[in-house]
Amino acid sequence: MAISLRESLFIGLADMWTRKIRSLVTVVGIILGVMSIMVVLAIVNEMNRSTLEWMTERGGINKIEVHFNWGNDKSDWSKANFTLNELKYIRSQIPEAAAFTPMISDRESALTKGELYYRSTISGVYPDLPKVEEWQVAKGRFINYFDLDNNNNVIVLGSTVARELFGSKEPVGDYVYAEGQAFKVIGVMATKSYVKPGTENFGNFLEYMNKRAFIPLSTMIHKVSPSQKIDRINVRAASPEEALKLQSKLESIILNMKEGKRLFEVSSAKEMMDEMKKNSQVFTAIFILIAVVSLLVGGIVIMNIMLASVQERTREIGVRLAVGARRLDIFIQFMIQTMLITSLGGVIGIILGYAILDLVGKYLIMQLSASLQMVYVALLVSVGVGFIFGIMPAVRASNLNPVTALRNE
Amino acid sequence: MPIIETHNIIKDYDMGKVQVRALNGIDLTIEQGEFVAIMGPSGSGKSTLMHIIGCLDSPSEGSYLLDTLQVSNLSKSDLAAIRNKKVGFVFQTFNLLPHLNILKNVELPLMYAGIPYKDRIKRAREVLANVGLSDRLRHKPGELSGGQRQRVAIARAIVNNPAILLADEPTGNLDTQAGGDILSIFSELHQKGHTIIIVTHDQAVANRADRIIRIIDGKIVDGNLAA
Repeated sequence: MAISLRESLFIGLADMWTRKIRSLVTVVGIILGVMSIMVVLAIVNEMNRSTLEWMTERGGINKIEVHFNWGNDKSDWSKANFTLNELKYIRSQIPEAAAFTPMISDRESALTKGELYYRSTISGVYPDLPKVEEWQVAKGRFINYFDLDNNNNVIVLGSTVARELFGSKEPVGDYVYAEGQAFKVIGVMATKSYVKPGTENFGNFLEYMNKRAFIPLSTMIHKVSPSQKIDRINVRAASPEEALKLQSKLESIILNMKEGKRLFEVSSAKEMMDEMKKNSQVFTAIFILIAVVSLLVGGIVIMNIMLASVQERTREIGVRLAVGARRLDIFIQFMIQTMLITSLGGVIGIILGYAILDLVGKYLIMQLSASLQMVYVALLVSVGVGFIFGIMPAVRASNLNPVTALRNE
Repeated sequence: MPIIETHNIIKDYDMGKVQVRALNGIDLTIEQGEFVAIMGPSGSGKSTLMHIIGCLDSPSEGSYLLDTLQVSNLSKSDLAAIRNKKVGFVFQTFNLLPHLNILKNVELPLMYAGIPYKDRIKRAREVLANVGLSDRLRHKPGELSGGQRQRVAIARAIVNNPAILLADEPTGNLDTQAGGDILSIFSELHQKGHTIIIVTHDQAVANRADRIIRIIDGKIVDGNLAA
């Protein structure tokens, strides 16, 4: 029966304590490797999290956008237009879509309320817009199909528009003027906000959405701005997986409709996010490579020191063999010692890595935080390095012949 | 009843091209409870014989019965178990582990025998008391005199109640006074029934034994029991 693991652990700890400085110096490579693993994982976690948050605030990852293809011939711009019939046709071809709205936007159009005046972007849309954008109506209601069918002069205001024009007064039920016409305010949208942690100075990245106002698409075309083209459609898929399918389906429908001309580009949030993830994977791979190299170097250093330690302790090994240690006992003793040293490095690396997260975060303008998963990975890696690089010294120690080991000076 | 019985033990060493025969047909019998000295000039093979008797090494040929157990062709792992339970070593240079205190040093064979911690400590304290070192349990070997260190080594050698106690020049690094004390301990142990084998080239040391076995050129020339 071999010596118990607990005994080996105890011998290893005692040994490490006797050679404190050496043990510490030995593990510098491991410390650096584990630190970089911690930082990389924190950065990747944060990138994925903030991307998802941004996407969600911007209308979720199920959103698909059809818009003018700027990469195409610019002279085709005048033809890049959907008729109301074409919109109906497209909608009928994608019954699986959860929500659908075309959009015409009138930029820099003035909204007035008495003496007050505000430059807003007024968009003509379908009633589905809140669903497509995952955007709640805070007060009142949104445009409905009755408004759309009757070209009603109703308007829904973004929260900033409402505040600028009405202050603390109640906007719903009141009237605003645009393009010389009166519009009844039927609702106010919820405030959209995305403040990137660490970049609070830049303010709300989604403020432009709060500065918008919405009227029925029909009202826009027939009464406000007949010359405007319908060149944008936003669609919401039932799920992120559906989004990719729906995206390519929409692409071919529109391509057929426009006789093979790529007037429109169809993009999905899911696709964008996959693209971003791919970019972050390249970044991750580079950092993991750095971590692996420093762990390898650290491992080789430890192997060398352990080999030297076996050499130096040949006599001790001889004594242990003489009093009855089996080769397996010696093997386990050195394996455990190497693994203890590397896990010591791992623990120090985790602590230091945690300490520099804030610093790195400030530099990258990111809010980095540690997770339990990172600690597990770091510990596992450091013990693993000890295991791999501990084998050779342990084999050498356990293969010593007791007689020659005892003769060693 | 013989505790050690060897028949025609031969030990060859490969020294590159040439083979060196260190032991050339050793027939040795040592009875239970004997105090024996093995003497011989350096290079005579007495150390090799001691290594084989102590199961640190295996013979090239021949048979070796230790406590009625055939050990000449056991595996390395089995030999380790024999060393642990049947043999106690005392070396000229003490061979204590310098970073462990003396209690831990004495405990070592018990640890490899798989004996629980509490029993180990109790037993180690007992044998250290027997060699008069109860007040030094937490000292490191470096803090002790040579004689004291050798007493620790003896305590370690007998802690597992071995069948034989093997001592290789146990007084070689000690002054006369300390050497005398160590030899007295051996005599005491002998009186208590331990089988003791001392390898030495010091006639005065050998004279403490019941019987002196002389070995020259790998052969026993004197002192074997009448065949």
